[in-house]
Amino acid sequence: MMRLRTSTLPGWALVGAVAGTLVLAGAGVLVARAADPIRIGLGMALTGGLSANGKPALMAIRIWKDDVNKKGGLLGRPVELISYDDQTNPATVPGIYTKLLDVDKVDFVVSGYGTNLIAPLMPIAMERKLTIMGILGLANNEKYKYPNYFQIQPSGPDPEANWATGFFEIAARQNPKPQTIALIGADAEYPRHAIAGARELVKKFGFTAVYDKSYPPSTVDYTPIARAIKAVNPDIVFVASYPPDSVGMVRAAAEVGLQPKIFGGGMVGLQFTTVMTSLGPMLNGIVNYDFWAPEATMMFPGIKEFFAEYQKRAKEGGVDPLGYYLPPYAYSAVQILGLAIEGSKSLDQQKVADYIRSNEFSTIVGKVRFGANGEWAKSRVLQVQYQGIKGTDVEQFRVPGKKVVLYPEEFKSGNVIYPYSAAQK
Amino acid sequence: MKTRGALAVGVAVIGLGLALAGLGVNPYVYFAGYVVLQYVVIATAWNVLGGYAGYVNFGTPAFFALGAYTSIFLIEALRAPLPVLILSGGLVAALLGLGIGYLTLRLKGVFFSIATFALSVVLQTLIINWEYVGGAKGYTLIRPPVPFFRSWGVLLFTLMVALAVVTVLVARTIERSWIGRGLAALRDDEDAAECMGVPTLRLKLFATTLSGFFLGVAGAPFPYYVTYVEPSSAFDLNYAVNALAMPMIGGTTTWLGPVIGAVLLGTAQQVATVTISSELNLLIVGVVLVLFVVLAPEGLTGLVRKLRRR
Repeated sequence: MMRLRTSTLPGWALVGAVAGTLVLAGAGVLVARAADPIRIGLGMALTGGLSANGKPALMAIRIWKDDVNKKGGLLGRPVELISYDDQTNPATVPGIYTKLLDVDKVDFVVSGYGTNLIAPLMPIAMERKLTIMGILGLANNEKYKYPNYFQIQPSGPDPEANWATGFFEIAARQNPKPQTIALIGADAEYPRHAIAGARELVKKFGFTAVYDKSYPPSTVDYTPIARAIKAVNPDIVFVASYPPDSVGMVRAAAEVGLQPKIFGGGMVGLQFTTVMTSLGPMLNGIVNYDFWAPEATMMFPGIKEFFAEYQKRAKEGGVDPLGYYLPPYAYSAVQILGLAIEGSKSLDQQKVADYIRSNEFSTIVGKVRFGANGEWAKSRVLQVQYQGIKGTDVEQFRVPGKKVVLYPEEFKSGNVIYPYSAAQK
Repeated sequence: MKTRGALAVGVAVIGLGLALAGLGVNPYVYFAGYVVLQYVVIATAWNVLGGYAGYVNFGTPAFFALGAYTSIFLIEALRAPLPVLILSGGLVAALLGLGIGYLTLRLKGVFFSIATFALSVVLQTLIINWEYVGGAKGYTLIRPPVPFFRSWGVLLFTLMVALAVVTVLVARTIERSWIGRGLAALRDDEDAAECMGVPTLRLKLFATTLSGFFLGVAGAPFPYYVTYVEPSSAFDLNYAVNALAMPMIGGTTTWLGPVIGAVLLGTAQQVATVTISSELNLLIVGVVLVLFVVLAPEGLTGLVRKLRRR
């Protein structure tokens, strides 16, 4: 009997499903206001796998907003930021950005952090012909070739290959020239790209690959991998990995005494302050990609002031205390958007995109010009070598000489210590 | 309510969905609505095995992702249209359900749950290494121009309304048939049911297959919704947690429970994502789940029943 009684509810429940979503959106419609401030919207990873980087990135974007508003805003209007947490989950992106565009009525959108979170934004932006600034995506536009997409990571016109070019050039320049190479990468999005690029470079520079394998992203013990690589005794070890595996690989290499002549390449994570302070002297000698280091050659206008403000806020916010990796680039992405709005004197998506495409911008990460596919017209992926690190004190990483820029030539701040073992002494 | 009445309500809801699609309200409604309705399908499908038969399945992401990846495969190979994708996604996931049923149903309780969880991990590893469907790099779908509707958001929303109604109607029919009674019997005491002549193995296989089918159906349009599918988000543990939490909150013994649970929890999560902070998102699920397990172990429908009985 009881069951029969509850079953009189179904109509209401199902109507409720539809009504619930209506109410949800109705509330949003009411809060859409007259366009006074210029609104910029974004989803950012504040929880989930990329949150350790997402939070500092959002902090940097907020610093830009405050800087701009202090100077009177854009086109005489204040700037307002609207951000939601994408939970590092691409499935949340369509919902978040339609909310931003249709309910919050933002004037411009900026992407979240990372390739996976930019990808679902692309079709939304293309359907509505938006200008999008991408924050650290690798080869997102290769399939779409969307002209109004711009991406701030300095990977350059051919993201896959440009990524590791510096590493291979440095290796090839050594005397005697190393001959054999081991390639190792995680079964995940970025490492797959990086390894694919590295394979091309192996051929180009005439090395011999003696080991080319991948490992599942859930791997926790890297000593078997390090041992297997040690067994083939390569001159070069190129690693493409995400933060947890980067730490695992460096520790395993130290543990089993893996000592190639040159070690590193594409390890994400070694740039983060917490990783640097946890690994300490184990980093010495590693040659790895990077985007910024506190070297004299990297002091672009405005960057000191940015870090002063960032590091103050980071202390309060409990995020990466130095913020050398992502924050200045997140800042520059919105800085370029702001400069383009001012420069084109317009909020029109197409005009702003045209302006970005045809101009060079002076940002806190240096001069930026975009190429045809929305990537930097010229690659500026740095290769740095960790040198003279003692202990795990964070202060040592603030001064020049610890992360020496080896590549590209115009930003070079020191010489490589070769072989790897010499830098560990 | 008689079956004919239920059908009428179902048709009415689809009509309402179509009307809503035609209204041209804020496009965000369609995106948020899609996710909530997707959870109605997932929770209802999960409940056929988890609620009616009492076999807790932690492998929801495996079935959901299999639906999504079947779609990707068919798009890549044949440019198959959406209805074909949904049917195929469902059938492939149903086959997986059947296979897994054979392999694991001799396990009971927590062991069965662990086995289904392992299934998700195994399948994810396979997909990661299958380059044709994008592998670890993920698959980017360029959507063709939308047929019949104003936008893909509206189309997908309307589609999900229809899928949700069909799923709920099927679940309701099963619950009221001899199959539902058989499943309830084996949930209460499998040995006793077997002794009474209930064909437990066949019923369980039926439940895993059907549950798998609708989970696959829920996943099949996912590539069109998100346009970028990569293993870690398609196999997201959230699907497993929500698929379990929603029926628990609504009540697992009737078809109405998962619907109520999915609408309440799904909407709450959508609202939390864009209002407070989604850091609270999983916390909401956790706290609500604990509260319900302690205070209303039979879910909302159970609570209402209890209150009415007084």
